[in-house]
This record gives sequence, C-alpha cells and structure tokens, in this order.
Amino acid sequence: MKPLLNFDGVGFRYAERQILADVSFTLEEGSCTALIGPNGAGKTTLLRLGAGSLKPSSGSVLIESQPPAAMPHRLRSRLVALVPQQLDVPFDFTVNQIVEQGRTPYLGLLRGPGREDRIAVDRALEWTDTIHFRNRIFNELSGGERQRVKVALGLAQGAKLLLLDEPTQNLDIGRQSELIDLLHRLRGEGITILASIHDLHLVAGNFSSAHLLGPNHSLFSGTPAEVLTVGNLSKSFHFNPARNPLLYPHPFMHEGL
Amino acid sequence: MEAELNKVAVSPLVAAPRVLRPEAHVSVHTRHAAELRLYVVLITLIAVMFLSIVVSVSLGAIHIPVKAMFAAMLHQGSLTETQRTILFAIRLPRVLASSIVGAALAVSGLMFQGLFRNPMADPYIIGASGGAALGACIGIVFLSQISIFGFSATALLAFAGSVITMAVVYSLARARGRTSGVTLLLAGFAVGTMLSNSTYLFEIFDPNSTSGTRIVAAWLHGTIGVPEWTQLAITFCLFILSMLAAFPLMRRLNTLALGDEHAHQLGVRVETARIAIILAASLLTAIAVSLGGLISFAGLIIPHVARLLFGPDNVRLLPVTAVAGAIFLVVADTLARTLLAPSELPVGILMVFLGGPFFLYLLRKGKREYTL
Repeated sequence: MKPLLNFDGVGFRYAERQILADVSFTLEEGSCTALIGPNGAGKTTLLRLGAGSLKPSSGSVLIESQPPAAMPHRLRSRLVALVPQQLDVPFDFTVNQIVEQGRTPYLGLLRGPGREDRIAVDRALEWTDTIHFRNRIFNELSGGERQRVKVALGLAQGAKLLLLDEPTQNLDIGRQSELIDLLHRLRGEGITILASIHDLHLVAGNFSSAHLLGPNHSLFSGTPAEVLTVGNLSKSFHFNPARNPLLYPHPFMHEGL
Repeated sequence: MEAELNKVAVSPLVAAPRVLRPEAHVSVHTRHAAELRLYVVLITLIAVMFLSIVVSVSLGAIHIPVKAMFAAMLHQGSLTETQRTILFAIRLPRVLASSIVGAALAVSGLMFQGLFRNPMADPYIIGASGGAALGACIGIVFLSQISIFGFSATALLAFAGSVITMAVVYSLARARGRTSGVTLLLAGFAVGTMLSNSTYLFEIFDPNSTSGTRIVAAWLHGTIGVPEWTQLAITFCLFILSMLAAFPLMRRLNTLALGDEHAHQLGVRVETARIAIILAASLLTAIAVSLGGLISFAGLIIPHVARLLFGPDNVRLLPVTAVAGAIFLVVADTLARTLLAPSELPVGILMVFLGGPFFLYLLRKGKREYTL
C-alpha cells in the first residue's frame, strides 16, 4: 500500500492556543479511516491541515510527498477534497450548480465546463444518488440530502483523497446508514477516506482504521477494535461508554465495567 | 471478543452496480432548452433596450417624431435646426448616459452582492457612495468651472472619491492577510456614512449658498445631466473595459458563493479574485456616479429581479443584468423628465418609488423559476 497522506509531528497553534501537538500518522491509499475525539479536540483543524487550508505551525503535512499548502492551488484541488461540516450558500443555487463548482480546478478563467466536466458532474451525482434531484434548490433540501450533495461536490473535484468533516452529523439513523453505504461505494471506487465522526457505533466494521484525538493532544491510532476500548473512550470523552445505548451491545462494554 | 466488534449496528450494504438513470439524459435536454431560453430573453431585452432609447429620445418638451429621427440619420433636412440641436446635443447624450449608468449600476450591484454573499449589498453600501458624494461636493462648491476632456471636476473628483474610499475601506478590513466579507461591509458602511454626512459642512460654509447647495442636493438625489460627447465616449470605453474584466470574474463569483474557505479549497486564489472583483465593481460604480450622481436603487434591484427570474448563476446573469439595468434607467429617466414637465424630478427619487413596490411585489409573490 502506498502512503497518500502523511502527518509528521504536526502541531498547530491559533492565537496562542495550542490546538494540535505532535500528531503523526499515515493514510494509505484506499484506506477508510475514522477520526474520533471529543468536541474541540482539533478534528476539524486536522482535516483543514490535510486539505491545505491551514499550514501547520510545526511538523509537516505531505500528500504524495508534497505539502498541500505549498502545492499549486489547482493541482492540490484535484488531489484532495474537503467536505465541510457546514456549507452555507446564499441565493438559490441548484444542486447541479453547486456540484458543478467542484470542476473549478479544471476550468480556466474563460473556459466554461465542457463535456468531460459534465460527465464528471453526472458521475458524482450518480454515485451519491442525488441525480434525481439535481434541479432542486440546495437550501431547500433535507439534512441527509444536503450531506450527499456536499460529498458529490467533493467527488466532482476528482480527488483521490476525500476528507469529510462529521458527515453523519444531524442525520437520523437511516440517513446515517445511507451515508455509510456511500462511503463503502467510494472506497470501492478506490477513493481514500478520512472522516471525523461522533457516531462511534458507525466506526467499527465500516472503517479500516481509527484515530482517536485524546486528552493532552495525544493521538491513538489502530484498528477500530484497538482504538474503541472502554479505557480509551472513557479517558478521552470523560464518560462511561456503558451509558450509551448504541454502544452498549458491543462486547467491549463487558470489559470489567 | 475483539473479532465480534465487527458485527455492528450498521452493516455495510453491498454496493450494487448502478445503472445510469433516465434523469441523467434529461439533463442534456434541459441544458439546451435553458441555453436557448437565455438567448431568446437576451435578444428580446436588447431589442427592448433599443426601442426604449428611441422612444425616450423622441419624448420631451419638443417632440421629435421617430420617423423623422431615422430619416435624419440618412439625409439632412427632415428635422428643424432646433430639433437637430435638441436631438444631438441634449437628448441623445442624456439617454445614452442613462443607459450606461443603469447597466453599470446593475452589474456592480450584481458583483457586490455576489462578493459579499449578501443580497442586500449594493454599490453604495460599502462606502463608494460616501466618497463619491464628498468628491462631488468639493467639485461643485470650489471647482465648478474646471473640466478635463469633457469631464467636469465634479465627475472626476467623485470618481477619485469612490476609488480612494474603496482602497481605504479594504485596507481597514484587512487583517492577517485576510479580509472577511462582514468586516468589509461594516467598515464600508461606517466610512461611507461619515463621508456622505460630512457633505453637510459644505452647505454651511458654502459662500454662494443658493446655487451650490442646490446642485449638491440634486447630485445626492441622483440626476443624470447632459454629458458632452467626449465624456460619453470615454465613459463608454471604460464601461466596455470593465465589462470585459467582469466577464471572467463571474465564474469566480459562483465559486465564492460557497464561502472563502471552500473556494480556496477548490483552487481559487480568493484574495486575488476578491481584489479584481472590487476593482471592476468600483470602476463601474464610479462610471455611474460620474454621469448620474447617486442613484441608489438600480444596483440593488436589477440583480435581484434577474436572479428571481433566471436563478443565481452569475455567468448567465451578467448580460441579462447589464441590459435590464440599461432599460430600467432609460425608462426611469424618461419618466423623471416628462412626468412633471416642465419641472424635473431627480431620477434617483423616482427610481425609489418605481423600483421599491416592484421589488416588494416580487418578494411577496415568491415567484421562482430555477429552470434556467
């Protein structure tokens, strides 16, 4: 397996506040990784560093051995796409118009979208199962539909690496499983995925590995089974995992609670 | 025990091979239909624009028949000397000026609304108006006799005022190499209000308080004067130049609608794009201000109406907005000078009463056609 994204001793400070410190991990091509951790642990920051929206204060972030923040903008955009938690769009853009924006890194100032771009947009809409409401207004969609449109926008970029910021946030359990199905489909297409996620019951079985951003900027990496232990969860989240009904049926709950 | 972990609440479904749905093919059809509709609308609008210009030129205290007007283009003698003078020295320049003002205001409104991601933004809210008003006042009160290339000192100072104000506002809003849209709007609002209210001082210190302040007042209300042909030609060239600059920026505006960070993520140089958009839009505002003073409503209303009818895609909106703005202002200015003839309404005031109710009607009706 080839390494696609590499964090090496990455730290990030913002306005005198240390948000990440000494984070190191490698994403291999084709892997599907969950990023978990309590609110404010720096998950979003980590994803933004990976997408080149932020530059690390220390250490290095490398995509295919190049720092994304220093890459030519358009090349970076063709390689990595960040699906944000929130996409606020003023005016009544249709789903199709939004997803078309994903082709920006392929267009010149004067050249509009061509045949190839339309095929890419159609494919992104097809994969995310949003094609049947492509002409609807983005702001009038339900949360689950919007989430899938945001993924389609990332896919239209033609990126190998998809970074998703809490893709299952605010989704009901049915829409959550739809989104998880979508991630499986994308993985089947060879796209590498790193998703921050709060719904821990979705992690095991759906992700090949997990990173837990714990207290004191620690990062615990491994397979979901290695990471999602009672000890790790109660230390990071300051709660008793047995109190979560979705986590309760898991065998690790009986580990001496 | 660890192995059992993989049996979880949500099991992965096998990704079924997906067949392209029929809707995907329909899109090609609707795209062509949308393009065709855009062209039809554009051609119709351009025809209406020419018609309104011709009708506007023929109307006034001295009526010039449309037929005689066209005959005059081919051979002399179909118009009296007075009619000729009125047509070529007064009416035609003024009507053409109003069409340029309308188009420039509408397009700069479109650009500012898109840039600030705020449908309430308009060419004046970010401070260009205050600067222009102050410059114009200085020109009217102190330098009313001077003109360069047919531009009065008033027009030139208004122009300089709006561009300098934009530069000041932009540098005020910039922090750590970034500018936030909200900061820019607020800074522009504060600076613009201070500047436009400072014009009050001129009314107090104006030595010739009757004529000067009346011209200032007319300026602040928005009145399209009669420009000289040289001024008109130069302004028209500047207008074409800024439209050529605006065209490639429209796709950028579409991407910036997703937010600065997402636009950056899509490979857009956000800061460069923003400066280019502000420059082009300020130039358009200055063009409008130099010809017509402060006409505040067209820049807000025309892009809105166009968006309600054609959706928010800025690439499509650019030509529609420009032509619609020209029509709107030609009609408004014609009404302003004929409704209460022989006295004349400031077109800016008429604009508010013409545009306001229409805007509210559209807002209430909630008519939305997004097919284009």
